[in-house]
Amino acid sequence: MRRSPVSDRPEIIIHRMPERQLGKPEPPVYSLLSLLLGNRHPTLLWITRGHAKKVKIPTDLSRNPKTKHLTHATNPRLARSSVSWYIIVLPNMRSRLSTILILAIMARCVGADTISGLIKDQAPHKLWSLNPVSSPGIPALHSDFVRTPVDSFILQSLNEKQLTPAPPADKTTLLRRVTQDLTGLPPTIEEIKRFLSDSSPQAFDRVVDSLLESPQYGVRWGRHWLDVARYADSNGLDENIGFGNAWRYRDYVVNAFNADKPFNQFIIEQVAGDLIPNPTQESITATGFLQLGPKVMAEPDIEKLHLDVIDEQIDTLGKAFLGMTIACARCHDHKFDPIKQSDYYSLAAIFKGTKTFGGETMGAIKYWYEHSIASDEDKQRIEQADKQLKKLNAAASSYKSKALAKIREQARSKAVDYLVACMEFNPDTSLAEITSIARIYGLHPRILHHCRQHLEFQREAPFFKDWHRFSAARKTDELRHHYQSIFDELKTQLTALPKDNPSNKKLTDHRLEAARVALQDRAGFLAVPELDSFAFDPNTLAEYYRLLTVARNFESSAPDSPAIMSVSDGETATEIPMYVRGNHKRPGPKVPRGVPTAMHWSQTLPTLPSNSSGRRELAEWIADPRHPLTARVMVNRIWTWHFGKGLVTSTENFGTTGALPSNPELLDWLAAYFIKSGWSIKAMHRLILRSSTWKMASQHPLGDRYSQIDPENELHWKQNLRRLEAEQIRDSILAVSGRLDPQLGGKTLPLRNRQFVFNHTSEDHTTYESLRRALYLPVIRNNLYPLFEQFDFPDPTMPTGSRHETVIAPQALVLLNDPLILDSASAMAESLVEQDQDETEAIQALYLQTLGRHPTTEELQRDAMLLANLFAQTTKHESWMLYCQSLLASNGFLYLK
Amino acid sequence: MTSPSPLQTRRQMLQTSALGFGALAFQSLLTGASSNDVASRQAHLPARAKRIVFMFMKGGPSHVDTFDPKPLLDRDHGKPLPFDLPEVTFAKQGNLLKSPWKFHRHGQSGLPVSELFPELAKHVDDLCILRSVHGTNPAHGGAALKLHTGSDQFVRPSFGSWISYGLGTENENLPAFITICPTLAHGGVNNWGAAFLPSYCQGTPIGNASLPAAKIRVDHITNARISPKMQRQQLNIIRQLNRDFNTRTSPNPALEGRLDSFELAFRMQTSMPEIQDLSKESRASRQLYGIDDPLTDDFGRQCLMARRFLERGVRFVQVTHSDSHVQWDQHGNLYQGHTKNAAEVDRPIAGFLSDLKARGLLDDTLVLWGGEFGRTPTVQGSDGRDHNPHGFTLWMAGGGVKGGFAYGATDEYGYYAVENKMHVHDLHATILHLMGLDHERLTYRYGGRDFRLTDVEGNVATDILT
Repeated sequence: MRRSPVSDRPEIIIHRMPERQLGKPEPPVYSLLSLLLGNRHPTLLWITRGHAKKVKIPTDLSRNPKTKHLTHATNPRLARSSVSWYIIVLPNMRSRLSTILILAIMARCVGADTISGLIKDQAPHKLWSLNPVSSPGIPALHSDFVRTPVDSFILQSLNEKQLTPAPPADKTTLLRRVTQDLTGLPPTIEEIKRFLSDSSPQAFDRVVDSLLESPQYGVRWGRHWLDVARYADSNGLDENIGFGNAWRYRDYVVNAFNADKPFNQFIIEQVAGDLIPNPTQESITATGFLQLGPKVMAEPDIEKLHLDVIDEQIDTLGKAFLGMTIACARCHDHKFDPIKQSDYYSLAAIFKGTKTFGGETMGAIKYWYEHSIASDEDKQRIEQADKQLKKLNAAASSYKSKALAKIREQARSKAVDYLVACMEFNPDTSLAEITSIARIYGLHPRILHHCRQHLEFQREAPFFKDWHRFSAARKTDELRHHYQSIFDELKTQLTALPKDNPSNKKLTDHRLEAARVALQDRAGFLAVPELDSFAFDPNTLAEYYRLLTVARNFESSAPDSPAIMSVSDGETATEIPMYVRGNHKRPGPKVPRGVPTAMHWSQTLPTLPSNSSGRRELAEWIADPRHPLTARVMVNRIWTWHFGKGLVTSTENFGTTGALPSNPELLDWLAAYFIKSGWSIKAMHRLILRSSTWKMASQHPLGDRYSQIDPENELHWKQNLRRLEAEQIRDSILAVSGRLDPQLGGKTLPLRNRQFVFNHTSEDHTTYESLRRALYLPVIRNNLYPLFEQFDFPDPTMPTGSRHETVIAPQALVLLNDPLILDSASAMAESLVEQDQDETEAIQALYLQTLGRHPTTEELQRDAMLLANLFAQTTKHESWMLYCQSLLASNGFLYLK
Repeated sequence: MTSPSPLQTRRQMLQTSALGFGALAFQSLLTGASSNDVASRQAHLPARAKRIVFMFMKGGPSHVDTFDPKPLLDRDHGKPLPFDLPEVTFAKQGNLLKSPWKFHRHGQSGLPVSELFPELAKHVDDLCILRSVHGTNPAHGGAALKLHTGSDQFVRPSFGSWISYGLGTENENLPAFITICPTLAHGGVNNWGAAFLPSYCQGTPIGNASLPAAKIRVDHITNARISPKMQRQQLNIIRQLNRDFNTRTSPNPALEGRLDSFELAFRMQTSMPEIQDLSKESRASRQLYGIDDPLTDDFGRQCLMARRFLERGVRFVQVTHSDSHVQWDQHGNLYQGHTKNAAEVDRPIAGFLSDLKARGLLDDTLVLWGGEFGRTPTVQGSDGRDHNPHGFTLWMAGGGVKGGFAYGATDEYGYYAVENKMHVHDLHATILHLMGLDHERLTYRYGGRDFRLTDVEGNVATDILT
């Protein structure tokens, strides 16, 4: 349970209140507070480190019906954290003044002179994650369970609660688990057989080594990082246009994992790959990390746009590498963590000196920065493509304007008919009836409909007054004659005008001038509907859409200018104003560039050169082994991706409101090991996968009792049962049906760079039929692949280190009806029918192939009966298909034990 | 579904409740699945509405041309606005522009409605017209997100998701939150997304704004290759395989949940198309909604579908009036555009209200109508109005709100909300209140913080409650 009744309200937190003060606040404080409370009806809630009973609640508060329910609260979560006292100010106390007053009183109470003095007093080490990584000794335990230091730490904490670890998982379970874990694919039948027949003690280690060597490893673990990097192939937000060059970053990440690029280098390249000595295309590509965020591309206020993008960059950077919600401090000092608003703007200054936008625009849409790697030849090719595209678009739009002109001309030539036809019905007549009237007169139904509405609303206009007069008297012929003669006269006059620019000539005759305006006003009584599908007849519409589609198809497949979606250094900003409440129109005092003060792990701060943004120094500061957060945050991510849950469950939040580590010693030991190993992620895999902890079964003989003691399995008394992730489900279905295309890398987005995702009828034509690994399917913000969306693919607008694992009915709909799974089951059925195997053998093979294990005798018998039952009703092919699909939709396939 | 053991964690609870789209989320709020949670132990308020329909007019209908008459616009037509424009306007503003439409008083309440809505005007005694709504963002995307999620800066759950989270659904065969023909632009999926809330809270979209309502389907709802009879048998096979698996693992609500989720999915395959099939409606009722008239057919179908979902226990239904353009966005051609737009929705909405009333559903159904902002009383170009988030009109009807009642006011030209101002957060707080949820206590912990629909704002507009 992670709910607190308090923390969504404005809070002022005072740390380090002396313990002795807890029970007895100074009496004058209370009387002053009461005075304030009496006037304003705010609520104060005092929470201590589990000492709530000792705190005397002012009686007037506990009697107040508004606050009564709060005063008895103790919140174990808060009690576990390092915060001693909270003052909670409810929203009904809006006045800043009273807030400050109360703070001032509290300040007096603990002997500090000012509020800022108090806040300053809160030393960073109060937040566990800001302490230097310690090097805890490995508990000396003698047990068969202890195969790695990881096991010692886990067993130690289990021993403390008198729990025993679960037995090891059996070999088939283990192989399926490790293969999915490292590659996102199921083991093949051959791999299963090989592993089962290898009884040497190194059998498992050999499997781990070969999986780590497989290029498919990078696909699986690269995807983990892409979750954190909020990777997407389109912008989303207001203007959803394609990131035609994002794939280069995706490939960079996959390659980095496959090559076991040291994580510190991985950080530096992503934050400042363009600024390191001798930057390469690869290192520049890495900075795509800063560029991939969603942006309000059409924001008219450039200053705001830039600050919002900087905010997104700081948010992502903070969460991804430091597990800190730094962006919370944009408008005010962080409410929970020791991050000040000035810290935020110090970082913002570094990004202010970073160039995220290029110079060009497309209408209101700004261009993000790209580093061109185009040759002269490329440029020529692109130029030609651009020219051709322009031509195709022009063809469509000129077709449209000609067609519209024709409709307009036709309507004008029948202006009198429209006016006569309008006599036949009331303004509130249905369009259905109007359509049949229009047919008789040979008119455009929607123009006629509009015409009648127009007449109604313009009844006072002199030109239309006559219409109402004739119409009321039912004088059809007179009406026809009246308007016919005006329009005839108008025609004569207009033809007589000099030819240079007749339509813009005002006529002196008021009556005729009114007629001219009425007739030529595009929004007048003969206005053509704005919507294409309303204006055009089906053939014209089809032709217009065809031309648009031709242009769009050309654009989709037109070559992109080879370029790297990245950032670059712009004009250095050595200082930046702190904006009041984050409002870019209210600059406050200026702050110099720098790194968050509470995270200073050394007295020597990075010196930021005056001729560059300072990004490189920031990157090196983050990637320094002395940084208390970097290694901790990453080893916790690795742990999460191996176990389904982190030692710190809030993977993006190591702050005060985040979860505390379930095993702090282990976390620190892992962080130290990570650094010692040269920041090698593969070394972490080997360490963790070889541990008894990871190899445990996912059920425990004493599970019923244990799940009452530790329901979330925080202590690791068993391995977690895990559902496959969206990509694993899809890829595994393709793999077991022999349809998976293992090809790596390259552009797969079916859009040209900056092309709109949605076409002229706001349809997204992105298809997901490719049989390559799911990693290579387009990630379209605002319109995710439904299979991804249903199976908890993360929102690609924000960093995600731990995905949800939900069970919802639409998932079952996908498993029952999606063409991907139907086609795969059908392919499996086909080969079964072809092979015409003995059913028992076929079922055995299918179990190995899909569930990674042999069936039991009972299962074999039962499934043979189920199949026989199907055979009796339908074809062999359909029977096998239904059966194979059932296996693919079953828990045995979807879950890893 | 088995009753949850008190030892189940919230995570497990949510996994379980997710499959049934059930009311477990609310149950866990009420039963205090978490004993340390003060908020959840307090029963929420008595609900005045059990279900809600939101008629979203994409693009921003003009309040000064529909429900908020400004006589001074007639008087001062063509003169400059006598006070300051907002710091940021979307486009360049001209002088004051009078409304092309006349307002008439209707019903016993005598509230004015413009000629744009002749049918809806007959229901004015049921409408609670909120004339002082205001937001912050002057662009479609930001404003639509603000209205749907309370935030135009961050990805947050939509208010339909919050309501689903708080109340669940009353029908086990259907999701709690359905959005019919939503627009994919301007926030798109975020406007019905669950963000960090459990995914059963997300809106289930049926079609999108570029598809005719007659042709829309839920994703994956049909299977052209396998007959229902054979699929039923397949389900039994899956069930047996899953039972096997589940008996060999420790008890886990997620696994049990998956068993049920297949059954629900199977039932949805029948129930969803059945509800969407309007051919079973009488001719009279189809006419009431304007179906079969090309002008009103599309929105009429949406409204009729909405009624069918609501009466079957769906908690939140959104219908969207938008084509593939930004429908109500008359920067120019105000007269032509608004005439067409209003004509397309007038009869369907009026029909919907009559129908709900006739069926006795209006009393406990909250109807909400409006766009992401209003429009400026000043002219843009020669005959258009610009975006105006500073004061605009939404209306409510039904469940727990005063009918024939106008709340709040904009200034005498209709630019800024001035009286009983109702920020979007206040609107949300009020909606939740009507649904029996306290906006300050409907919270969800994510990323170390307890989130609310109303952030740290929001006041219930108690004056509008019956």
